[in-house]
Amino acid sequence: MKPRDPAIELKGIYTAYEGSDLPVIRDVSLTVRQGEFVIIGGPNGAGKTTLLETINGMLAITHGRAEVSGMDVSKQGVDVRKRVGYVIQNFSFDPLSPFSVEQVVMMGRYGLLGWLRQPGEEDYQAADRAIELLRIGDLRETPIGRLSGGQQQKVLIAQNLAKKPEILLLDEPFSNLDLCTRDFISRILKDIADQGCTVVMVSHAFDALPDRDIRIVVMNSGSISLNRVCHADEVEALVRQASVVA
Amino acid sequence: MLEFLISNNILCHAVEAMLFASVGCSILGVIITQLNISSIGFTMSHAAFAGAAAGMFFGIGGTTAAIIASLGVALLLGPLSDRARMSTDTTLGVLFGMMMAIAIFFISYMQYLGRGADTSALMFGNVIALYREDIYALAVISVIAILFVAIFFKEISAIIFNRKIAVAAGIRVTPIYYATLFMIAITVALSLNIVGGLLLYVWLVTPAAIVYQFCYNVKSLFIGAPLVAAAISVSGAWAGLEYSLPVGPLTAVIFSIVFLFSVALSPKRRITDRKN
Repeated sequence: MKPRDPAIELKGIYTAYEGSDLPVIRDVSLTVRQGEFVIIGGPNGAGKTTLLETINGMLAITHGRAEVSGMDVSKQGVDVRKRVGYVIQNFSFDPLSPFSVEQVVMMGRYGLLGWLRQPGEEDYQAADRAIELLRIGDLRETPIGRLSGGQQQKVLIAQNLAKKPEILLLDEPFSNLDLCTRDFISRILKDIADQGCTVVMVSHAFDALPDRDIRIVVMNSGSISLNRVCHADEVEALVRQASVVA
Repeated sequence: MLEFLISNNILCHAVEAMLFASVGCSILGVIITQLNISSIGFTMSHAAFAGAAAGMFFGIGGTTAAIIASLGVALLLGPLSDRARMSTDTTLGVLFGMMMAIAIFFISYMQYLGRGADTSALMFGNVIALYREDIYALAVISVIAILFVAIFFKEISAIIFNRKIAVAAGIRVTPIYYATLFMIAITVALSLNIVGGLLLYVWLVTPAAIVYQFCYNVKSLFIGAPLVAAAISVSGAWAGLEYSLPVGPLTAVIFSIVFLFSVALSPKRRITDRKN
């Protein structure tokens, strides 16, 4: 993919959950170029998480066309997810979970490996780099269930960075983090966006946004009510203006 | 297969059967317990039970009918829990009731017709009445279960960790999940004659639950559960035949006692009194 090619291109997208009378996302069109940093804002229930899961093909598109990393999401959902990282919002792990931090980070590589290939040197190096980048090297052997919510959040971000994604989707990644860690994660996200990875983040915390141009997308009742590029300082005010609270 | 170790033919058959049933069931049991779908164990075992009862009624092979019924439930389970927007546990609860009703219907109806079928083996197992072919089939399915886990270990471990995260990582979760259900179905159906439909659940769940008390990583669960299951099952078979006790129930009781001890001794529940 050439720089500044569209990384995400949604045209007239509708997404509905099974058994629901109305679509959750309605007629959403959005173009995000490679290396852009996108914040998705809006009130609760506006369809922000649904939009993320539509982009990576986890939810079925009922109408419209979505192209991500040059692939048709409806037909190549699994291949899209191999190239797109997704840090989920609601997670809880059993305190006695039998998975160490290192194993969880390595899982980020599994999709890329496919059915029969086992992790090799390159995969271990990618996982190691992600662990070092997030500064969780001392937790390597610790079972993930024994970590705090913030530490678990860092592990899940590392898992997705180990994948070396073309696009990184994050759903409220700052929700479990203290202020210093927010700044730290924000710097990492800025760096990877500067290196060409497209970052799309649902967030209600605007105090730790990277100092750069940001595309702000505000959703209301399943539709986009604002889509423009602004500076990090303007994001909070724009989200407040454009959000309609029911 | 083990005649070179055990000269007594009946004991040898019993040990072989218990060994293979315990290995197959316990390996799949690790997946079942870690996915929190333990009720899959009793639903599958009752499906095999219902199938075998129906097989006896219609005069076809009990094992064949048990395999067909278990596979039928496995076929229903995945799509039902995916499409019905219900938790897998709720789906299993519905299917469990249905399977139990079918089994009781055929058993009662056979008694009403005076066909006097002895169904106690279906419920409690009869380890000494097995055909050699049944034991070979169990050996094959145990080896397949081991290979399945070894080949797809990374996919299985990711699904066990968190199904949604596994999907997001680009892992094809559905084929692995459905393959697991099919493996459970066949293993349960083949083990039915050994431990019985009412006790099979113990073989599926308890070994993994015992090993879980001491293991901190998923690989050791997959290694430890079949070792513990095999040791207890073989001991149960030997003790049962040596002292003329019912083998299946005796082994199930031993499993439960070992589980209680493992919970009591588990380091996972220990609270440190160290100050530094």
